[in-house]
Amino acid sequence: MGDSQYSFSLTTFSPSGKLVQIEHALTAVGSGQTSLGIKAANGVVIATEKKLPSILVDETSVQKIQSLTPNIGVVYSGMGPDFRVLVRKSRKQAEQYHRLYKEPIPVTQLVRETATVMQEFTQSGGVRPFGVSLLVAGFDDKGPQLYQVDPSGSYFSWKASAMGKNVSNAKTFLEKRYTDDMELDDAVHTAILTLKEGFEGQISSKNIEIGIIGTDKKFRVLTPGEIDDYLAEVE
Amino acid sequence: MSRGSGGGYDRHITIFSPEGRLFQVEYAFKAVKAAGVTSIGVRGKDSVCVVTQKKVPDKLLDHTSVTHLFPITKYLGLLATGMTADARTLVQQARNEAAEFRFRYGYEMPVDVLSKWIADKSQVYTQHAYMRPLGVVAMILGIDEEFGPRLYKCDPAGHFFGHKATSAGLKEQEAINFLEKKMKNDPAFTYEETVQTAISALQSVLQEDFKASEIEVGVVRKENPDFQVLSVEEIDEHLTAISERD
Repeated sequence: MGDSQYSFSLTTFSPSGKLVQIEHALTAVGSGQTSLGIKAANGVVIATEKKLPSILVDETSVQKIQSLTPNIGVVYSGMGPDFRVLVRKSRKQAEQYHRLYKEPIPVTQLVRETATVMQEFTQSGGVRPFGVSLLVAGFDDKGPQLYQVDPSGSYFSWKASAMGKNVSNAKTFLEKRYTDDMELDDAVHTAILTLKEGFEGQISSKNIEIGIIGTDKKFRVLTPGEIDDYLAEVE
Repeated sequence: MSRGSGGGYDRHITIFSPEGRLFQVEYAFKAVKAAGVTSIGVRGKDSVCVVTQKKVPDKLLDHTSVTHLFPITKYLGLLATGMTADARTLVQQARNEAAEFRFRYGYEMPVDVLSKWIADKSQVYTQHAYMRPLGVVAMILGIDEEFGPRLYKCDPAGHFFGHKATSAGLKEQEAINFLEKKMKNDPAFTYEETVQTAISALQSVLQEDFKASEIEVGVVRKENPDFQVLSVEEIDEHLTAISERD
């Protein structure tokens, strides 16, 4: 980022010691569509609302949940265009790791590198922080993992987490329902119920997306048919 | 403590406002509307049609040089709504990128790949202070080898979606309301129906009947995947068909 005319950081400390641009970025995340993730004993599930601006939008052209590697997936709350940038950079970093070490990148390392990128945009000249929080779900030698990365670049490992509009209700719901020995199937049901909590309108396979990874270590997004089956079970 | 807005620059460059908004991006959307033109795109079963107003502000202008409809490659078209100068640089970069893609990978750049490229470029302008967002909404149309007719819309915020039908510009919302009613039951329009839906949507929303010289129409069809700008005679045929139908 050699924006020469802007070789000063736009994110600077306020007198009270806060980085105000990051706080504003978090506000942008908080007004985004709800997304959540749950780590089960044998896998991880991530899910999000997929509310499109009009029925004229072709919903098959939009996929909010993306895979970074065959065994790591990611979902976001906040600004879609910023998310695309991070997905692209993370995928490249995962590939570079693989080229160097001839093995798939561990989840923690990919999360750390993505978080580093996000932090750089809070300190470099002439750029603004990313307006997204990410939920990264992966399964490697250390087992199933779920990480949340914020616009500041800080990240934590979570058993279950939520972000976006309905975050407080969703987190309260998850705190009540979460158990350490949950199976992946139960986790998917819980994820759907959590999304349903704050959902405006009728929930269906056309306005939510769910991604799972199990002991097979293959991240995949559920088809609308599979989501319909889960929705029927939940009713 | 809700302090000021980072020195009051949140309206001048693309940094966050206290509510987490990007004012420069929102102003870019306003600039698109300020151009005073409305555009419409409709995707049919085996064709895509885009329509826009052709406003020639001065009789002395060479009207053939006034256009918002640009071929990017032989098979991809781009309809730019908003600031013409920004549109021209976008088109120039898109043409370059599509040509390089063809050279590098040996096959034609698909519609969604070009749209994503344009949207990602727009995103950069929303994050880096050194360049402002472009005041253009771009509609890209083409026939995809796998998926058939495709219509994508890219905006100054860096969003892009595939659309069954869409609109941009001054009367965007009215047009979208009109189109939602028409497309509610997922109709599979023929080529003629696609073009006529697009043109009649524009006429209805602007509440005027057009002459063929006052609108620009671009199409791609499965039988003929080349992006084509319709001639005045062809537009006239469709206008006549619409008025006879009503």
